[in-house]
Amino acid sequence: MSAASTARRDTSLSLELMVNGRARSLRAEPRTHLADVLRDGLDLTGTHLGCEHGVCGACTVLLDGEPARACLTFSGACAGAEVTTIEGLDDDAIAAELRAAFNREHALQCGYCTPGMLIAARDLVLRLPEADERRIRAGLSGNLCRCTGYVGIVRAVRGVIAERRARGIGPTTGGHRGLGPVGARDGHGVAAIRSPVAHARPVSEPQVVQVVEDFEAAHRFEQIVTVAHPPETVFALFGNVEAVAACLPGAALTGQPAPDTVEGALEVRIGPIAARFRGRARLTRDAETLTGRILGAGSDAGGRSATQGEIRYRVEPGAAPGTARIVLAVGYTLKGPLAQFGRPGLVRDLAGRIGADFAANLGAHLSGAPAPAPAGLNPLRLLVKMLTASLRRRLAASGARRP
Amino acid sequence: MKPAPFAYERPGDLSALLARLADAPGRVKLMAGGQSLGPMLNLRLVEPDLVLDITGVPELRRAAIEGDTLVLGACVTHADIEDGRVPDVTKGAMARVASAIAYRPVRNRGTLGGSLVHADPAADWVTSLVALGAEVELASASGRRRLALDAFVTGALDVALAPGEMLVAVRIPGLGPGIAWGYVKHCSKIGEFAHAIGAVRLDPGAGHGRVVIGAVEGAPLLVPEARHLFGGRIGPDFADRFEAAAADALLREAGMTDAVARHVHVTVLARAVAQAATTLFAPTRTVSEAA
Repeated sequence: MSAASTARRDTSLSLELMVNGRARSLRAEPRTHLADVLRDGLDLTGTHLGCEHGVCGACTVLLDGEPARACLTFSGACAGAEVTTIEGLDDDAIAAELRAAFNREHALQCGYCTPGMLIAARDLVLRLPEADERRIRAGLSGNLCRCTGYVGIVRAVRGVIAERRARGIGPTTGGHRGLGPVGARDGHGVAAIRSPVAHARPVSEPQVVQVVEDFEAAHRFEQIVTVAHPPETVFALFGNVEAVAACLPGAALTGQPAPDTVEGALEVRIGPIAARFRGRARLTRDAETLTGRILGAGSDAGGRSATQGEIRYRVEPGAAPGTARIVLAVGYTLKGPLAQFGRPGLVRDLAGRIGADFAANLGAHLSGAPAPAPAGLNPLRLLVKMLTASLRRRLAASGARRP
Repeated sequence: MKPAPFAYERPGDLSALLARLADAPGRVKLMAGGQSLGPMLNLRLVEPDLVLDITGVPELRRAAIEGDTLVLGACVTHADIEDGRVPDVTKGAMARVASAIAYRPVRNRGTLGGSLVHADPAADWVTSLVALGAEVELASASGRRRLALDAFVTGALDVALAPGEMLVAVRIPGLGPGIAWGYVKHCSKIGEFAHAIGAVRLDPGAGHGRVVIGAVEGAPLLVPEARHLFGGRIGPDFADRFEAAAADALLREAGMTDAVARHVHVTVLARAVAQAATTLFAPTRTVSEAA
């Protein structure tokens, strides 16, 4: 990335679009989605933005004549496309009938969803064979309205479909367009676009979060790993924070501000998501019962996502003599964008896979094999945070009392 | 939210794309329709240095029949399948699955390949195509290979792609005569990710059957030979022989501890079995109700 990291520069792309029948030529950053291109670049503010992750439908526009989410279509991805916004449907016959029907049926109140709703409704008028209420409701399920309760909207769409079919205008089948995402021209249509790789962004270190003694875990799960070594040996190893951290993929210790407290970082990958959590954990353990508790808190760079949690571990004899079962009870709370995206089940799956790697590394370590490469990016994947949090805690826990 | 800055390239042919994928520095993410990656970029859960848009490659936007197998390029969209713009070898089964994915504006850009590589356990293609016995074709600058889809999907959002490798095509074997097919998913809201999916591909004539339980926490749960879910024998009366208790035991073994979740999955699977019985004797070819 040497060439890339030299200086800040204009990273925008030149973009040719046919918008509402007019050729437009502009520049946009690759990260700018079509809705912002339309609103900020061309002052076409009829396209509304709601959720910006494809759920609410407010930004729906026509791309090459077919409805698409403008918030999930990045500028370069629709280069050369024909875009029709709500402003471009003034003279459209179906849109005119829909506007009249929306008026008649009181199908809007605040109007925020209406541009996207009209574009989705127009698509249904074109495609549905008849004015079937169930299919209309299913077809509008990708457009959220928080005012009307949908009754008026559905009635308006039914009315327009019924009228048109009564006039002998049949449904269309989706046409004979080429294969592939609408709005995306193939390599022969548009010259290959290439924007320079941006210079590396500075990585801000996350703030160290304080550990809070009592918290309510929003999610809990238990995990059991088995290693081929006796419980006492395993429990003793858990007293060696560095060794445990080395066995934990993606983990790195950064300090020990107090005898019972460690600081560290955990880097986790789940599919395309990579996150680095930094945090602090307080560790207690009881050699009598071979149990311990790790209580921790952490956040990712920028502090956008934060987690808190505890891991209680218990080392007990395994099924076969000379083996041990490590029972981990994990409870955590996650806030921020990761929580918005993540589903607890995915975290458990990630935890399961990290746990398996951890057990393998632990077994290797106990057998005298060299420790795996510390920290860094193991290709573990999964929903980042929660895991990271629990992992970090787990490894931190082991460090409470060093032999 | 707006994505963090990224560079963007859109190669016009496959060799240029693979070469760039092999040599690009930093964090590189391939993007097809962007309907899964887009939200993650907008939420800044993913912050790549470079987004490589693969939709400019004509080879990835093709469909072909090879013998009894349908070969779909990675960039074929859900709507392409829903509308019948690609050939059908599954008696409409794939069109029905496609028509109930998310919402029409998402289906118009979301792709088959993108969905499989994203490998969300609750997504439709991951489960339905494992049940159909699909294979994926992977390519890198150094060559190509094929992999059974169930081996490709290794966990939640996790697939067996090597560095520099991408999915270029999906190969779907046809549903021959006498094969019963059922696919049912449960969502609390239309278009959202499923809470439970059941998919069955049964051959009562030959006594074989493939059953997949999807929308679980990891990769879909595949039972390649599912006789034990039907009292040890899959015959024309398979719908009456389905044993919910055996399916429940299977889920329990797989680590699903929540009894309610198991109940939902077993119920959805039973509905898929019942649907398979109806398609076998009175094939329904209508595209699903979702518009």
